Amino acid sequence: MVNAMEIYQLTPKTNCKKCGLPTCMAFAVALLGREKNIEDCTPLVDEPKYEAKLKKLQEVMEPIMGASETGLIVHPEKCYGCGNCVVACPVNVANDPRGSAIGLGPKSDKAILVVEDGVVKCLNMEECRRFGPNKIMCNACTATCPSKAIEFV
Amino acid sequence: MAGDEMRIVTFRDIFQSEAQEMGRYSQEYQDLSAVVRLDQLDMKRLGLKDGQRVAVEGDSGTVVVTARTSDESPHPGVALMPNSPWSNRLVPEETDESRIPEFKNLKGRIVATEEKVKPISELLEELKG
Amino acid sequence: MAVCTGCSLLCEDIEVALDGGKMGKTRNLCRKGLGHFKSIYLDRARPAVDGKEAGIDEAIDKAAGILKNAKKPLIFGWSNSTLDAQKAGLELARELGAVVDDTSSICQGWIVEKVLRKEIPTCTLDDVRNYADVSIFWGSDPSSSHPRHLSRFSYYPRGEKRQRGYEEDRTAITIDVRKSPTADISDEYYRVLPGGDAGLVEAMISVLDGKIPRVEDKKKLISLVTNMKKSRFGVIFPGLGMVYSLKGRKELLDALVEKLNQSSRYSVIPMVGHYNMRGFNQTLLDQTGFINRVSFQDGVESGPEHSVMEAAKTCDAALVIGSDPVSSLPAAVARRLAGMPVVAVDPHRNLTTDVARVVIPSAASGLEAGGSALRMDGVEIKFDGVVESERMTDLEILARIKEGL
Repeated sequence: MVNAMEIYQLTPKTNCKKCGLPTCMAFAVALLGREKNIEDCTPLVDEPKYEAKLKKLQEVMEPIMGASETGLIVHPEKCYGCGNCVVACPVNVANDPRGSAIGLGPKSDKAILVVEDGVVKCLNMEECRRFGPNKIMCNACTATCPSKAIEFV
Repeated sequence: MAGDEMRIVTFRDIFQSEAQEMGRYSQEYQDLSAVVRLDQLDMKRLGLKDGQRVAVEGDSGTVVVTARTSDESPHPGVALMPNSPWSNRLVPEETDESRIPEFKNLKGRIVATEEKVKPISELLEELKG
Repeated sequence: MAVCTGCSLLCEDIEVALDGGKMGKTRNLCRKGLGHFKSIYLDRARPAVDGKEAGIDEAIDKAAGILKNAKKPLIFGWSNSTLDAQKAGLELARELGAVVDDTSSICQGWIVEKVLRKEIPTCTLDDVRNYADVSIFWGSDPSSSHPRHLSRFSYYPRGEKRQRGYEEDRTAITIDVRKSPTADISDEYYRVLPGGDAGLVEAMISVLDGKIPRVEDKKKLISLVTNMKKSRFGVIFPGLGMVYSLKGRKELLDALVEKLNQSSRYSVIPMVGHYNMRGFNQTLLDQTGFINRVSFQDGVESGPEHSVMEAAKTCDAALVIGSDPVSSLPAAVARRLAGMPVVAVDPHRNLTTDVARVVIPSAASGLEAGGSALRMDGVEIKFDGVVESERMTDLEILARIKEGL
């Protein structure tokens, strides 16, 4: 996963403040947290001399931009479909006592994680403990993954 | 050189198993099967790069596969091969009194080669004799 | 709900949407299971005689002829067929005076035999889910071979006496030559060298006897055994790593389990691969007193000379059902099979169908035909087909060959 320093290296590093933030480093952090978009850095988009940097930045940001509201990223090509995350997810356990809590496929509509066509899929993201103002840093789904197919931004 | 002798252990890989379910003759099955995974120390010691072709030479036969750096290390001296018709060329017919073939503790040497990986159709023709 | 026959977990909660009779979106299938389900649309076997496409009736006649004329036919495979098909196959074997062996002969057979003969204690996977606090994956990597093993039974689910989740309630230990995907998510990983399992068992027994073990890292082993001993309901899941490494010292498994059971409660569930291998071993045991390597040539006898490894040298024809030994056996043995008249019964094209004198395509069980099978822990699971098929089932094919004799 890309970090803020790597993103910073791909900004103009001029601290021009056109994005509304005081420094390019602050912009990098905001970009990683998905509070800003690449397009908010107008020099990067408009000035031809930054073309290579822009292209590389779009590349490294692509998986992050695809992340859900909670920062969850699934790499379907790595997923085994084992359902460890489905069964270990505390919200799935609470919402679905007769399905995922006891190791079966989810039987409740409120499950967050479900295995579809052999790979895990996120539904009902608003139920995730990492969502909203009272979020907590639960990592039950990433810690139980045998192939690092799930990660958080 | 006895120092170059490796232990070859066959194992199951889920992506290879998935490809096998969908057909033994696909390129994907070959790409996921005709592979040997080595500890990075062995890759370095043998002067190999990830993706390079190697001949695995055992007492019962030789087979050309692709060398990969293992992400299941450390296992220096141990070479991992997905169980397949390619790895089975290294497994001897002779067994101990259990009559169970030795799929998981084979001896072999690994050397870089320019030869190509044989497709499964060619392995089959050789079995037909 | 459908049942997945992709491995011996026989997952029963599979949801499949049907779209005009064809399989659509699926839920709860793992990656390997999805490959198994999709396979019914890929690379199917076609009826053939001597390499040429033939009618099914001609193929069956030819098959009956080959088997009838053989002095010593071998019937091999069995573990991907339903219990009823296995029974029909054994009737055919008796009539032919055939040698019978299955895939267990080159893999889990010796451990399955100890379990079926009640020489070592076992339990069901439902017991594991409800009560087990220590799961030991020894030379097994279920994340790769039986992907839902940990989530359905052995580590992550809540159970009757395991209500608090895996962090507090369960311990997973992996013993392997490599840091496998299962080792990666286990609480403890103990690395063993190829062929080193016997030495490890002996060292564990020393620790359990209160002696200092003769291993390099004594502290690590003592801590491992201490964790094993703390268990109130422990289960060992031996995989092929243990099967091959201990095959010359089989008694060590009994000794370790017995020793562990002096202070705790331990069971063994072998990590059977094919979906109904245990079913075949049980069926054959019930009928003959042996789990595999049986000859019906002269009454009933069993022994290593009737193993597929030896039978490939001594038999003069083979019926292979639901298995691909030309791919999975050592090349020299595969060559022997390729040199004799083979009748292959299989849903798919594979190396064995491609060397066969006669190919009889079958319906894929669990997908195109129903029946029942024994899960890896011996529990019988019944299933129906998911889609319609005109192909004959193994059961029908074996009955037709018998008629044709």
